[in-house]
Amino acid sequence: MKIISSYSIKGGVGKTALAVNLAFAFREAGHRTLLIDLDPQGAASFYFRVGSAEKFKMRDARSMAEGLRRNIRESDFPGLDIIPSNLGYRHFDILLDGMAKSRKQFRKVLEEFRPDYDVIILDCPPNITLLSENVFRASDAILVPVVPTVLSRRTFEQLTCFFKDEELPCKALRPFFSMVQKRNKMHREIMGELPESYPGFLTTVIPFSADVEKMGLHRMPLLAYSHACEAARAYRALCDEIFSTLNPQP
Amino acid sequence: MGSLLKINEGIRLVLPNDLKVSSLQEERHVVFHEQESRTLAFWDTFEWGLWFGGYVLYSYGGVYHLCSREEGWLGAVICEEETGDRRRFWGDFETVSMRTALERTLGLRSLAMVVEGTFHLRLGELRNEAEKIVCRLELSSVSAGREGEEKLLRTCQVLPLRGYEAEAARVVEYLTQRGAKSSGDGPVDVLLRHANNEPQKYTLRPSFGLTKETPAREAIGRIVRTMLEIAVSNIPGILNDLDTEFLHDYRICIRKIRSVLSLVKDVYPAEGTGRMRKILGDLARQTNRLRDLDVYLLARDEYLGLLPPELRPALEGMFEDFSAERDIEVQDTTLKIRAHSNRKLLRKMAVYFSEETAHKPSSSADIPVGPLVFRCIYKRYRKIREIAAGIGTETPDEVVHQLRIECKKLRYLMEFFSELIPGEEGAQMLKMLRRLQGRLGDFNDASVQQKSLLDYWEHKKSGPDVAMGVGGLVSILYHRQQQTRGLIKQSLGEFCGGSTAAAFKNTFKLSDSVSAKSAQ
Ligand SMILES: Nc1ncnc2c1ncn2[C@@H]1O[C@H](COP(=O)(O)OP(=O)(O)OP(=O)(O)O)[C@@H](O)[C@H]1O
Ligand SMILES: [Mg+2]
Repeated sequence: MKIISSYSIKGGVGKTALAVNLAFAFREAGHRTLLIDLDPQGAASFYFRVGSAEKFKMRDARSMAEGLRRNIRESDFPGLDIIPSNLGYRHFDILLDGMAKSRKQFRKVLEEFRPDYDVIILDCPPNITLLSENVFRASDAILVPVVPTVLSRRTFEQLTCFFKDEELPCKALRPFFSMVQKRNKMHREIMGELPESYPGFLTTVIPFSADVEKMGLHRMPLLAYSHACEAARAYRALCDEIFSTLNPQP
Repeated sequence: MGSLLKINEGIRLVLPNDLKVSSLQEERHVVFHEQESRTLAFWDTFEWGLWFGGYVLYSYGGVYHLCSREEGWLGAVICEEETGDRRRFWGDFETVSMRTALERTLGLRSLAMVVEGTFHLRLGELRNEAEKIVCRLELSSVSAGREGEEKLLRTCQVLPLRGYEAEAARVVEYLTQRGAKSSGDGPVDVLLRHANNEPQKYTLRPSFGLTKETPAREAIGRIVRTMLEIAVSNIPGILNDLDTEFLHDYRICIRKIRSVLSLVKDVYPAEGTGRMRKILGDLARQTNRLRDLDVYLLARDEYLGLLPPELRPALEGMFEDFSAERDIEVQDTTLKIRAHSNRKLLRKMAVYFSEETAHKPSSSADIPVGPLVFRCIYKRYRKIREIAAGIGTETPDEVVHQLRIECKKLRYLMEFFSELIPGEEGAQMLKMLRRLQGRLGDFNDASVQQKSLLDYWEHKKSGPDVAMGVGGLVSILYHRQQQTRGLIKQSLGEFCGGSTAAAFKNTFKLSDSVSAKSAQ
């Protein structure tokens, strides 16, 4: 079982679009996939037409796993399940704060799902909390959408510094370019430089596309309504790239 | 739509004929997709090995699907394989999953189509206010054959989505209130019954409903009639050369009948019994060579495996010769079995042993079968002990062969009359007998096969490479045979002494008063 999170400190960069389509692509490739919507805004749940989760008590790792399990919803696409967002995640930080090994509890929670899923994808809110630190330590890969602008580049650098300071697993950080406009000169320049100073950059690029924006109208992943458009192919390519980096051929 | 028949969880309902799909559409807002029809061909063996093993195998659109069987319904698909040529034996399948799943259930048996049915399927979805799918439905009606019009059964599978089970429960409730039933025959049951081809347990060891008091002639008659019926049921499979087991079982039935007629004497008039035994002997003899060839060919892979790879090609030629001979022998044998004269013999036997046929009295006809047979069994056992006493490392093969035949006779008697033998002790005695027989069989196979290999060599006079192959095999077989001698001695020790001897004595040796009484 691989745990993949979609994360950025910056909002509106394509995290949810990535999580939703990546989950769809993994299940399309035959992997039993679970998407967990960790953002109280519930955008990922919305794209799958799933209502918010029922409240549950989070006393410890075990009760959290149980509560999450009870909230698993089968999506309209067999093989892909969702745990919708839950406002209670906000209390998670407070709960964790009082626990020993408070930064590693979430990994333990997710391990409970190992028998049932091949891939777990986490859609994260744009902030740094105890929960996000837990996500970092739980993830085999942390995918960071970077829109090729000066500002995004700075926030990405902030994130890498934070990882170093906190002794988080830098190797798991896998940035990629999101919402790329090929005709934009600044985009092209930044895309030329940044990967050189950060070797973990994924090569697949997600283009800016009106097809992606329409997800809100369709209320389903792009891959489900526009199978072959450029952006859909890009998400699928990203899925392949991640899969092969996580499962290197001997 | 690819997974229509694969979805296995969920609640299966049989729908009443008057329940219209439109009511689900109107009242429950279920949206249905277009109907799709598929003709499935179902496969199984003569023994219904798959069915009773808990499987259903069907082919559709050039793909074999092996499913678990859930009562008379198709369960989850276990594995699938594209058909190239038609598959008959488990070894004809290519994927590992299919081969391993089928090897256990099919054994040496071949597959034959048992029924064809057309499934008309409509998939439906129930959505909530957010337009999220909360329940799936699979409506299906089945008709016989390729385009059967008459609907034999209408069913609905309600397939809950995880986290939305309550909605599925509501649909089930809606349907049951309108007459849907969650029990009763499933579509595969219905198809098979319609085709008059319902799965039946097949065994070479049926029970005959005997008690110790059953008059001997009635008991033997029942046994012979039943075994004759089983023999005859194997004939179509032999004629169509479906697999080797039809002939194997046919021969066993004949041998068993013949054996019981000669072991339990004076139940039918001697003259008639003699005639019947001769017919049985003739019938068995017709098939001897074919069975021998089957045995060689079945052992092909094992034998080739015994030789180093360099020697194998030469021997492959021998098996090709056997295979060619078998092609001819099959023609010969089936012609004989099909022949008018043969059918007349079988009919004669059926008439002779029919309940309606009156026979002259004979000395043992009316006495209770229990004591009569127990005496026979004990006599066989003592005979085996007698031969066993003379068995050593130097004993000629023929004596061991004789011992094997005696054991077989004993085994047949114990199996025919197992209903009369106390269960636990009977099982223990049979276990010991079976072990001994296994070793005697190995010994005999090794001996017979050495001879046939050398015969082949004699006739063929092939080149030195064949000589090396044959020589190699013969010496391995000889070595095996010698090893088995030791094992036979050990099994004989167990079988002829100790607790087994006591069990035979206690069970079958009747006190004089009983034997005297029954002899009156
Ligand atoms: N590749 C793209 N091309 C065009 N529009 C996109 C693309 N990816 C995302 N969008 C749009 O941008 C908006 C923000 O995307 P998304 O919700 O995926 O970002 P986010 O990082 O998850 O945001 P938040 O931080 O609010 O969770 C959405 O309206 C989405 O439709
Ligand atoms: Mg988001």
